[in-house]
Order: sequence, then C-alpha cells, then structure tokens
Amino acid sequence: MTGRALMPILVAALLIGAIPLFVSANTVLNFLVFTLIIALAAQGWNILGGYGGQFSFGHAAFFGTGAYAAAILQSRFGINAWAAFAIGIAAGAAIGWIIGYLSFRSGLRGSYFALVTLAFAEVFRILANASAITGGAAGLLVKLDVRPENFQFASRAVFVWIALALVVAVLVLTAWIERSRFGAQLVAVRENEGAAKALGVDTLKVKLTAIALSAGVTAAAGALYVQYFLYIDANIAYGTWISVEALLAPIIGGAGTVLGPLVGAVTLHGLGEITKTLAGRVPGIDLVAFGALLIVAVAFAPDGIIGLARRLRARIGGGGGA
Amino acid sequence: MAIDLSRPTRRQLIKTAALGGVATLAMPAYLRAQAPAIKVGIIQPVTGALAQDGEFGRMGAEMALNEINAAGGIKSMGGARLEMVFGDARSNPEAGTQEVEKLQAEGVCAIVGGFASPICLAATQAAARYNLPYIVDVGVSDQIISRGLTNTFRFAPGFGMVTGVALDNLVKLNDAAGKPAKTVVLVHEDGLFGSGLAKLMQTELPKRGFEILETIAHPTPARDMSNVALRIRSLNPDLVIPSSYYGEFVLLARTMQQQRIRPKGIYAVLNGAASNFRFVKEFPEAAANVMDCNHWYDPRNTKAQELKKQVEAQGKVFAYNVPLNYSCVKLLADAIERAGSADRAKVTEALAASTFKDHIMPYGPTKFVNGQNTGAAPVNTQVQNGDIKVIFPDAFADAKPVFPVQG
Repeated sequence: MTGRALMPILVAALLIGAIPLFVSANTVLNFLVFTLIIALAAQGWNILGGYGGQFSFGHAAFFGTGAYAAAILQSRFGINAWAAFAIGIAAGAAIGWIIGYLSFRSGLRGSYFALVTLAFAEVFRILANASAITGGAAGLLVKLDVRPENFQFASRAVFVWIALALVVAVLVLTAWIERSRFGAQLVAVRENEGAAKALGVDTLKVKLTAIALSAGVTAAAGALYVQYFLYIDANIAYGTWISVEALLAPIIGGAGTVLGPLVGAVTLHGLGEITKTLAGRVPGIDLVAFGALLIVAVAFAPDGIIGLARRLRARIGGGGGA
Repeated sequence: MAIDLSRPTRRQLIKTAALGGVATLAMPAYLRAQAPAIKVGIIQPVTGALAQDGEFGRMGAEMALNEINAAGGIKSMGGARLEMVFGDARSNPEAGTQEVEKLQAEGVCAIVGGFASPICLAATQAAARYNLPYIVDVGVSDQIISRGLTNTFRFAPGFGMVTGVALDNLVKLNDAAGKPAKTVVLVHEDGLFGSGLAKLMQTELPKRGFEILETIAHPTPARDMSNVALRIRSLNPDLVIPSSYYGEFVLLARTMQQQRIRPKGIYAVLNGAASNFRFVKEFPEAAANVMDCNHWYDPRNTKAQELKKQVEAQGKVFAYNVPLNYSCVKLLADAIERAGSADRAKVTEALAASTFKDHIMPYGPTKFVNGQNTGAAPVNTQVQNGDIKVIFPDAFADAKPVFPVQG
C-alpha cells in the first residue's frame, strides 16, 4: 500500500484521536464513542454493500450477534471481556458467512438479497426477544466492574481511542481491499456479476469472503456497544435502527470509498448534535436535520460527500480526480 | 461489591477547588446573600416512540418545580430556586446516556426521570460515574435497583412488587365475588413488560386456582387485533389479562367491543391504556369496567385533585406519570432541603435516609432499601362511568369494584 493511500487515514486518525487530549467534556467524548461505533458498523456494511454491491438491509443481524455473544459469554459464562469481544467478532463473521452461503447459493441478488437479510435480522430479533439465554425481553446487563481487564474504563477517553483504533484498523483493511486482487474481484462482482463470472472470478467465494469480513466488522461494533453501555436487549441488538444507521452513513458519506462511512457517520450525528444544541428547545429537531440531510445527499450527491468532494476537486482542478 | 466510581480525579479536584475559591472571592457580599439557583436535571423521552409518556413526565416535574419556587424555594439554602435542566432521552438508552453527560456538564445536583427501563438502566449507570443522585420515575425492571448503585433511587414500585400485588388483589376480587372466574387468556406484547409478565402469570395463576386457556403474544406496534379478539371469542375465557402498550390495548378493547366479546372481567397489569384518561374519554364504551393494576395517584389527596384540575384545565391528560414525576421532584426537593446543600454526596445521603410523606401517591412514608422505596405500592383501578376509580387497596379506594361485569 502506498503512503498516499494511507495519508487520509492517518490524518483522520490524528484529528479524532487528538480530541480527548484537548476536550475533557464527557458530553463530547460520549458523542464521539457512539459516533465511532456507528461508523464501525457502517464500515462493515460498506465492504459488502459499497464495494460488493450487495445491499444488506439487515446488518443488525451481525451487530446483534456480536453484541449478544460478548454479553452472554461474560455474564453467563464468566469469560474475560476481551476474549468475549474477540469471540463476538468471530461469531458475527460466522453468522455472516452462513447467511451469505444460504442466500448467495440460491442466487439472491439486489432487492431479494436485501429482503432476505432484513428477514434474518427480524428472525434473530424475535428469537432473542423470546429465548432465556438472551434474557428475553428484559435484556442482558454486563456487570459494572470498572477495571481495564474487564474492558471497562473510568475514562471515556480510553473508549474513544479503542473505538478509533478499531475504525482505523478497518480503514486500513478497506484501503488494502481497494488495492488487492480480492477488492478488484469484488468490484467486478458489483459492476457486472455475469461478466466477472465469465472472466473466471469465483463470485460465490468472493461474496462469501466479503460478507464474512463485513459481518465481522459490524459485530465488532456490536460488541463494543455492549462494552460501553453494558446493556443490550433485542431491540437494540437486532432492531432495524442499526441496519438503517449502518447503511445511511456510507450512503451519505460515499459508498464504496474508504473514508465514506466515517465521514457519513460523523456528518450525520455531528449535524444532529449541533442542531440539538442550537435549537435544543424543540424536541426532535435533530431528526428533522437528519432527514433533510439525507434528502439533500440523495438528490445532489448520489456518490456521497466523498464523491461530491471528488467531483468538486475535479471541476476546480480542471480534470484529474478519481 | 464496592464499585469505586466516587474517587474524583486530580483534575476534577483542582478544578472544583479553584472554581470554589474563585467564586467565593469574586462574589461580593450582597450577591453571596442571594442564594444561587440549584440545577435539577429532568430526563424524559419527548421524541420517538415514548414521546407521549415523556411529555406527561416532564409536565409533572415542571409543575412541582414551579410550585416549589413559588413557595420560596429551598429554605435551608436561603430560598434558593430550583432550575430545571431538561434532557430528551429520545426513547433510546444511548440518548439517555448522552443526556446524563450533558446534564453533568451543566452541573445539575441530581436527575429525575427516565421512564422506560432500558433508558433508566443506561442513564443511572452513566450518572453513577459522577455519584450523581438519580431518582427513577417509572422504570419497573427490577434490574435497575439490583446493581448496587448507591446513586440510584426508585420511588415507584417495581415489577416484582406490582405483579405480586396484582395477583393478590385478583384473588381477593374473585373470592369476594364468589369465585366467578376460573379460566384466563393472557394477551401480552412481546417486549419487556408483556413477556416477563406473561411468564410470571403462567407460573403463578395456576397455583391460585386459575386455568390458563392460552397465552397470546403480539408485537408492538400491532395494527390489527382482530385475530387476537377472535381467538378470545372462541376460547371464551372468564378473564382476559392483557399487558400491552397504549395503542395495542386500545385496539384490542375496541375490537372486543365491536365483536361483542364480553368476558367477566378484563384485568390488566401495568397496562399502557387501561388507566389512561385519554382512552376513557375517547372510547368510553370499550373502556367501561376495565381493571388495571398500575401506578396511580392518591385520589383522596386534595393536592392530587388540585393538580388534576390544573392539568385538565390546560386540556391535557392526567396520566400517572404526572403525579409520579411531581412526587419524585418533591422527594428530591425535600432531600436538598434537609441536606441544606446541593452537594451530591449530601443529597444522596439525605435521599437514602428519606422519610418523605408530602407526596400525592397512594404510598406510605418513603423508606429506601437498596434504592427501592419500600413504602411504594401499586393500586387497582377500574373504569367506572367514564372515570377511573381506585378499587384496591381500601385505604385509598374511592369506589367498589364492579365484578363480574356480566352477571
């Protein structure tokens, strides 16, 4: 990977990573952690949806699996939080692979694939809401015991850095995918699956790898959510809200770009938070801003903010740009 | 197990000390005499799915704060006024946490509210980091007070307490009427309240001589309850025990009325609509004689009656959240008054030792044991002649139960 590819990642990491050094307000840090968790989930979606063109409406299935795995292993089996976190990611990836195998083997594409993922997430939600191991509808609490070995920290800054480290790791992974043979095959599948197949690309294998990676990343976001909020229930874990968040951020930021999900998540939530501060007296004003931004983005920046920036740069620079 | 979140960091200590020092030095004597306002955090979900309940809660809290200020504020602190700092929990736990952080940054001395259990769970935990006293208004999940958080107090009864009372009173009601009810159909929403409650009923009702014909779960939101109603008709139970949120129960009650399904009683527990004046006003026929075991105000309390009139004069609904939040804020004000300080540790201590009686709930004197007010109790209500009456316990009742409904 060239330095040029890593430069924007480094800049983004330094910018966000420096915030806790200058801002000690926990309001800001808490907002950052939550936004980074969303960004991470969105990065997962971006690998499959942005690069692979397989639009999932059910990334909650992976987010929830990561979250529940981390919570159940800790609270029911007393497994160390860090180990539970790793297993949560693996569990999410495995679920991703299984869902991928079932749907891609049946040749589901486009809206059919989207509907199947949506259905899987809903099935998981209902199961988690009913079964005893997930605590049913009452949800699961991870015991509050603030020690680093429990993946719980007194300072919110530490969480910012951990979430950021994960986001950066996935940024590097995505940048690598963009330049790898696997990435090229994935994009080929997105652009024209039939043609890719004719050229000898094992499309099933490519798509399965993509969904497993994608699911693993989103599961990491879920597991991180549990470590941070220490509580999970079926509607948080497998609710449609996270599926929507995971696909909105890349769409706003720029699907199929390295920085798109992060930019999208920061823009969406940042804008929401700013409107709330400016017009705090009106309840729900941040949601209005959220909706307006989405409409504007879809109407005027179909390639997201990153795509818009590229177009503007190309216009100003008189050509060039990717 | 001791959780040490209380230890302030060095930076915080220096900051507080410096601020205190600067404040004392900078303030001229005449300003010092005028007590500064005490900030009180109120968290309610006023957007999203729970917005209706959040608004009720906010209204109650606001009324109490206004009243306290009008009566001269906190006297032990030179008549200091209470200032509300409001946080919108947007019906989800993340937003609840974010609002706690915001209120903490604003320097509130305590927080009241939360409404839904997941919000309360997350928000109390976030407040515990700062030893910020937190009074839960509704949040019935018993997990809220079983985590050993010393900052968390719940004024109202929890799930275990409400269901226990509900079962006892059901037996009492049935026995007094000559045991007309033997068979039961449980209808519940598949979330926290409904599922937990149904499970409990399934184990407890047979022990008390009732036969459960079927347990019917439905999602929230549900837009059609015809199938549930038809199933009830074919099973023809003596009692229907629904535990659902507002919209679904209203729909069920209306469908049952339209289909002329008339069990001997509808006995709801912690229902979102069965003791809601809006339901009674909008669908008086469907609501007639529905019983509920829930949070409620003390109907014999003159202050409560006065408050109800005030709320209704504004064209609003006097839901249980209003008197409950009103009482919670009063409880906090009483603690600040006794502590003589807005210092968190002192307020927490005063809350823990509280024997507060000036509330408008059908509770005894307040006594917190591990954060739960053991003086709290739910009551049984019944919709009678377009009004909601308390039928149990006798100490607070303003009507006799109508049961069985169809002789």
